[in-house]
Amino acid sequence: MTAALTLDGVSKRYRDFQAVSDLSFSVPRGSICGFLGPNGAGKTSTLRMILGLQGATSGKIDILGANDGRKVRDRIGFLPEERGLYKKMTPVEAIAYLGSLKGLASAEGRRRARAMLEQQGLAAAQNKKMKELSKGMAEKVQLIASVVHGPEFVILDEPFSGLDPVNQQGLETMIRGLAANGATVLFSTHVMQHAERLCDSVVLLARGRKAFEGSVEEAKSTAPRFLELEGEIDTALVSALPGVSSVEILADDRGVRTLKASLAPGAGGQEALKAAFLTGIDVRRFALKEPTLHDAFIGLTGDHPDQDQSVKATAVEAAR
Amino acid sequence: MKRTLLIARREYFAYTKTVGFWLSLLAFPLFAVLGGAIPILIRTTEPVRAVALVEDGPQATGLAAFVRNALESETARRAAVAMEATEKAAEATGVPPTTGAAQGAVASLSRTRIRFVDTPGDIASTTGADRDAAVRRALDDEVAGQNAVDAVVFLTRDTEGRPEARVWSARASDDTVEDYIRDTLRSANRRTVFEAAGIDPAVVTATESFRPKVTVFSPSSASGGEVSFRDKLPAVIGLAGGFLLWSLIITGASILLNSVMEEKSNKILEVLLSSASATEILAGKVLGVALLTITVMVAWGGIGAAGLIAAAPEQAANVGHILMQDGLLAYFAIFMLGGYLMYAVLFAAIGAFCETPRDAQTLMGPIMMILVIPIMTMTLALESPDAPVIRILSLVPLFTPFLMMARLPADPPLIEVIGAMAGMFGFALLMVWLSGRAFRAGALSDVKLSWKSFMGAIRGNR
Repeated sequence: MTAALTLDGVSKRYRDFQAVSDLSFSVPRGSICGFLGPNGAGKTSTLRMILGLQGATSGKIDILGANDGRKVRDRIGFLPEERGLYKKMTPVEAIAYLGSLKGLASAEGRRRARAMLEQQGLAAAQNKKMKELSKGMAEKVQLIASVVHGPEFVILDEPFSGLDPVNQQGLETMIRGLAANGATVLFSTHVMQHAERLCDSVVLLARGRKAFEGSVEEAKSTAPRFLELEGEIDTALVSALPGVSSVEILADDRGVRTLKASLAPGAGGQEALKAAFLTGIDVRRFALKEPTLHDAFIGLTGDHPDQDQSVKATAVEAAR
Repeated sequence: MKRTLLIARREYFAYTKTVGFWLSLLAFPLFAVLGGAIPILIRTTEPVRAVALVEDGPQATGLAAFVRNALESETARRAAVAMEATEKAAEATGVPPTTGAAQGAVASLSRTRIRFVDTPGDIASTTGADRDAAVRRALDDEVAGQNAVDAVVFLTRDTEGRPEARVWSARASDDTVEDYIRDTLRSANRRTVFEAAGIDPAVVTATESFRPKVTVFSPSSASGGEVSFRDKLPAVIGLAGGFLLWSLIITGASILLNSVMEEKSNKILEVLLSSASATEILAGKVLGVALLTITVMVAWGGIGAAGLIAAAPEQAANVGHILMQDGLLAYFAIFMLGGYLMYAVLFAAIGAFCETPRDAQTLMGPIMMILVIPIMTMTLALESPDAPVIRILSLVPLFTPFLMMARLPADPPLIEVIGAMAGMFGFALLMVWLSGRAFRAGALSDVKLSWKSFMGAIRGNR
């Protein structure tokens, strides 16, 4: 499968602050790729470099065969992290206008806008002003505006932020639909569950550096499986069980604890459980669990995906 | 280019589709008419002061009669001045002085602000502190039925026989009566002195009412001799053009500033930047607002022209001739283009850093202070177009559109005009380049606007 996007040793530096360091990855055509990392990890800077909105300090970017996103901007759809449309325009007008900037004829833009709004259950809102729409509706309109011209490559920066679970579900469906129609989708998020459900591949980013590139399964396989144990349990006893590499207390309700006992590579868990019952540890509930992408991220980067890494970046931006 | 035109079209219709735009468009001519009518309105509706005269002692005998007669003479003199002014206006505009409007203007301009009333009995019949108390009562508005008198004037003479007065006024800040009495007593004293010198009072009256006819000639007038209103018209048009340019350019640039700020605060700029280059966005917005400004200019020009043709067709023809024949219209267009470019791109670049007008204040404050300079100096350009300060300021690119426009009717040296225009367009291109860099940086930046961050954005790379 050929790559729609390739980054080769890309770095971005703002004066004294290194936002992105030596980043290389590729996104196959027609796939959904999650670009994952905490706030401030360098995701937005990277996306802006891909789009050609910012120049890279070093390295090469190839998108849809061009070395600058600006040369193929009509073939790209972009949904920025901070979103907004003209408040006095109707959804149809806004979608058709942004489509026309991407080379779509105005009449065709209006026709597609009406059809896509109807498809998203927004037929009744198509002639209202943008300011009269709910946030969820406005988000959908904005997403439609970014793909109305039928782009080959769609970049979505934190598309799920600020959406309620129902609208998040709807957005996931839309993203799957884009890929099903042949578009390549690259979306950034710091919420691992979305990526886990949607992505064919993921790129994990922490502090401006790539921590992992591959499929979701490959990412999860880098993290250990674990036993979840509940009862009046002494953590030291659990640590001593065969195959257990580390123990973390997830909850403690008046002595009744929920523990997460990570297993060493190759350990199955059965031996540990058998030893626990034989030694008389008060296990009232147990479960053998597969690692999540969230666990993989922590294991691969040492950082928590919800941790904000933007403090330093903001300070440097302010000093510019 | 297509994207630039699309952005320009959206920008243009975003304003012209609103009712507010057309209301504000019509508001300017309306307020201009109101501005001219308000002084006349104030004059015609101003209350006439009721004044009581008291001759204070036998030495003041005759003064009250003199003051009363002087008011009648003053009324007649004002009517003559008003008629003369109306005749001049008729000569300039072609409107005959016999029309209702002209006669109304004469009536309002010749109207006096004082009338004399009988002195209240308790003032006339008392002296000393009792009289002062009676005066206070008479002037006290809050005492029912006592507000018939606005001022009480006690006339007397000093030891050398010179007239003097004490004026009691209902309002301490109202000096209408004081001024009138001062002027009248000065005349009374002059007359007394002349009479003492053996000069006939009729001769004094005739001398004082003489109004010489002065005719001005100039080799630069259209006839090469006598100067007419037509010869003064180009200077008036130049000055009006300078003010109009200032108003249009600053209005257009401010619309652009607000438009970019709105897009920045609504997070639209980043979406636009993924669809068009910063240059295309900036050019589209500048073009769209330029079309908007031209719409305003055409509307104002149309209203003004229609008003002038209806009121003074002869002068309307003169104005048209001056605008076309003397090239003022072409210069106006050139200065409009250069001035708008300079200020529009600068304001747009500032807007790209700001989400609220408060954010923009840091940079807009000093810029607006600089913009006051041409406003303060343009009227000076009408009287002294070759004054060194005006010549130098008109060569400063930021002021060239306004001051050179005002100077043009005085035929400044061609080298100065060409040099100023070259400097203006050179500076405009520099501003386009610098502001384009700042706009691109500001559109994607969350940095708070300051001179440091703005200059940093201009210096920085993409």
